[in-house]
Amino acid sequence: MKAFQANLKQLEAADTQVLGVSMDSPFANKAFADQVGVTFPLLSDWGGDVTRQYGIYLDKYKAARRVNFLIGKDGKILEEQIDKDAIDPKKIVDACERKKVSR
Amino acid sequence: MKRSGISTMLVVCLVMVAAICPQVFAKSKAEPAAMKLKVGDVAPDFKLQHFDGSDLKDVSLSQYRGKSNVVVAFYIFAFTGG
Repeated sequence: MKAFQANLKQLEAADTQVLGVSMDSPFANKAFADQVGVTFPLLSDWGGDVTRQYGIYLDKYKAARRVNFLIGKDGKILEEQIDKDAIDPKKIVDACERKKVSR
Repeated sequence: MKRSGISTMLVVCLVMVAAICPQVFAKSKAEPAAMKLKVGDVAPDFKLQHFDGSDLKDVSLSQYRGKSNVVVAFYIFAFTGG
């Protein structure tokens, strides 16, 4: 989440809303946000309903897989990054900025 | 003579199995589970709670309709890197 925060200005300039989601409690996520300085909302999927709906629930950890979804104006998924590839948000930042240019 | 022919074949078979096995295992281990939602699919709407320090607030994906982009970044646990 720190990596998204570091790119937040660029993302916001490209009219992008960032949302973090995990299966932690809202209070744990608030403490996490404070610790790493995240200013965008970290949402709690307590119980994992949304994580399962998105098909990324990990039985082994009883938690969500690390996945980024980039969603466009029409609500459709434009890009997905999974596991290790989801740590660096550069691809998403680039995609958002490309769209800004082509608009 | 016949005996040695069979044992030669056995050795050849074993070598082939040994050569193929690690590749099969490596492949099944490296390949991550397929994604249920694919590029082009509509992202399902959700409503989740967010604690802003004083209140618990509902945040939905649909409330950001109209934004050029929404990034939904799932992460495994709070207090982990990435």
